[in-house]
Amino acid sequence: MQWITIIWSVVAGVCLALAMVHVLIWLRRRTAGHLFLSISSLSAAAIAGFELAGMRAQSPEQYGQVVQWAMLPIFVLTVSLVFFIRVHLKAGRDWLMWVVVFLRTLVISLNFALTPNLHFTEITAIRQVPLFGGESISVAEGETRSLSPLGPLSQFALLAFAADAMVQVWRRGDRRRAVTICGSTILFISLATVHSPLVLWGVIDSPFLISICYLAVVIAMAHELSADVAGAAALGRRLEASQEQLRESEQRMDLAATAVGLGMWRWDIGTDRLWISDSGRRLFGLSEDAPIDLDRVLSLIQPQDRQGVLHAIARSMNGDGDYESEFRVVLPDGSVQWIRSHGRAEFDGQGKACCLLGVAIDVTSHKQAELEAHQRREELAHLSRVMMLGELSGSIAHELNQPLAAILSNAEAAQKLLTRDSPDLKELCAILDEIVEDDTRAGEVIRRLRILLKRGEPARQKASLNDVIRDVLRLVHRDLDNRGVRVETELQEMLPVVQVDPIQVQQVLINLILNACEAMSETAAGERVLTIRTWANGSQCVSFSVRDRGCGLPDANVHRVFESFYTTKPHGMGLGLPVCRTIIAAHGGKLWAENGPGRGACFHVEVPAGATGGAN
Amino acid sequence: MSDVEPVIFVIDDDPSIRRSVARLLRLEGFNVTPLDSAQELLDSCGSIEHACIILDIAMPGLSGLELQEALASRGISVPIIFLTGRGDLHTGVHAMKRGAVDFLTKPVRGAKLLAAVRDALARDRAAALGRAEVARVRRQLALLTPREYEVFEHVVAGKLNKQTAAELGTAEGTIKVHRARVMEKLQVESVADLVRLAERVGVKGSPASP
Repeated sequence: MQWITIIWSVVAGVCLALAMVHVLIWLRRRTAGHLFLSISSLSAAAIAGFELAGMRAQSPEQYGQVVQWAMLPIFVLTVSLVFFIRVHLKAGRDWLMWVVVFLRTLVISLNFALTPNLHFTEITAIRQVPLFGGESISVAEGETRSLSPLGPLSQFALLAFAADAMVQVWRRGDRRRAVTICGSTILFISLATVHSPLVLWGVIDSPFLISICYLAVVIAMAHELSADVAGAAALGRRLEASQEQLRESEQRMDLAATAVGLGMWRWDIGTDRLWISDSGRRLFGLSEDAPIDLDRVLSLIQPQDRQGVLHAIARSMNGDGDYESEFRVVLPDGSVQWIRSHGRAEFDGQGKACCLLGVAIDVTSHKQAELEAHQRREELAHLSRVMMLGELSGSIAHELNQPLAAILSNAEAAQKLLTRDSPDLKELCAILDEIVEDDTRAGEVIRRLRILLKRGEPARQKASLNDVIRDVLRLVHRDLDNRGVRVETELQEMLPVVQVDPIQVQQVLINLILNACEAMSETAAGERVLTIRTWANGSQCVSFSVRDRGCGLPDANVHRVFESFYTTKPHGMGLGLPVCRTIIAAHGGKLWAENGPGRGACFHVEVPAGATGGAN
Repeated sequence: MSDVEPVIFVIDDDPSIRRSVARLLRLEGFNVTPLDSAQELLDSCGSIEHACIILDIAMPGLSGLELQEALASRGISVPIIFLTGRGDLHTGVHAMKRGAVDFLTKPVRGAKLLAAVRDALARDRAAALGRAEVARVRRQLALLTPREYEVFEHVVAGKLNKQTAAELGTAEGTIKVHRARVMEKLQVESVADLVRLAERVGVKGSPASP
């Protein structure tokens, strides 16, 4: 049979088929690799056709033309092969690629410039060479051109390119591809490049094998691409499966978040796009779909809270810790919600913040509870203060009585003076002066009382602890006198300023002083000494202590005195010291007690110094 | 009895009170000495005559009530008017039981205070008079002879002349003579006056014989 025809036709057919398949794939997926493979395949088919034509050539002119035209698909195939490697494998040096292209262009130009073609100056005769199986093929005889080797040589550039690419891909770790594509290219092209000139120059009498070699390369490329396609399909299935999982997981998270009133958000700083989960949108009263940016969210936050939020954002964007803020949001129906938001910033390669993500939670009920608790504490402190002042009421009444009594006596003296014929005006002036003085004195007592009994938000202000102590001593000195208690003060001058509510600190002091007097009620008359000291602990804290010489605290449980409702007084309620401790703690300070040294107990208070001392 | 101007002591640790009360009293014509502590009174005056004290209770150092006790223990009986800012019942009763003239609370109307002062001074005068009287009687009793004194005792005890004669071992007639002389020396008209005189100086007479 005409096995040559069959084989070469099959080769062409296969190449054409591959070309068609891959052109269709390219049309659908637009990956360049498929296009170049198509072109290569097409060229290989063309080469096969030309080879067959050559082998059936009847005249030298026919042969010459076949060889000339066959150079064209070789050129196309070489170039497309190089592009394939460059684009699909992303390997190979650019300059080498252009060298190949240049050389082949040169060759093809020369080929068409010269007659009959690049390889022969003249084809003299065609002779039939008998082959295996009864076939015979045409072989040319003639003079070969000196430039003929240019063709094969230019293929070496292609081989170099392929080798270089192979090394690159191998180094990348993609060994399979390196071997399949580049390896097969090198192998088969070398084969063709070596074999063809030998046939052309009449050294070997055999059919050209270029198309078969190129077919091998094309098959390798196709195999590679189809592996990609198959891989892509498998990847697609896995992607679908994981997307399904993701959907489920998102649903679960959404459920959990909704149950807790938790919303998730992510702000892309570059595009100023803010993503908020559905539950998060509900927190802010936003509709389900509208895209939002930071300004939209800020517009929902109550004006007085916006500054704080912006500060917190800026801080975390600067890398200064996590993002934390609390703010109020006005919902469309007018109600106000408290929202607490936590998050963190993510940074890109240059250390700039590229996005901020976190969670937001509705804390309205928490906040309300907090506010209520705060109010209760204040009420309790006030109540405690009032009760404590009740204990002082005797001496307070006395403080008021003195000036009033003096005023009465003075006024009556003045009345008496005025009944005289020539009243002593100087005496009258002295009387009126004294009346004014006494009235002022009484007014002071009332003023101080009013301040202490005032019920309102504690007002922190800069205060000198020594002055506060002196004020208190003025208030209680009569009580101390009544109980026969002597006061000693050791007040350090130049104390750092503290930021406290003077009323509350006075409350604490009075409480401690009254307790001390109570403790010394059994002590011998001459030994009832109360010592008040102030001193600065470095520049950070200011301390004061109230020390008595009384019965002391039970050694085992000194801290019990701070327990609510613990009291040793028969009519006491046991709330004074716990309230004092709360007050001091609210100022960011500490209150503690210890026995001694020596007889009696000592209560220490420490408060932070400085303009911004104290917690909320 | 000398006519010494009585002194009113005003003792209070509060200067405004001292000044204003002193002023008021001075305008009434009294002689006032303000003091700022109870201790000062004890230290300065040895024996206090013709005076009354306006006394605060709650003072540093010695309190008003303590002063009252101290004066009593020294046998100084000066009328005391308490003028205090704290008018609780317990203290008031305590003070009055120990012989205070009055217990006033501040602020006090001038009229009330003056009335108390006058009352106190009247009492003081009455007491002084009483003391003077006793002294006089004692002087007179000192003029009696021992025997006359014995008879005086028996008469004051309510004994008949006959009984007295029997107990003292003399005749009734002698007793009658002694009795007359006693009544003459003591300047009394009747036995009843004699008994009253004896009571004034605390002579009870000899107890009845069993």
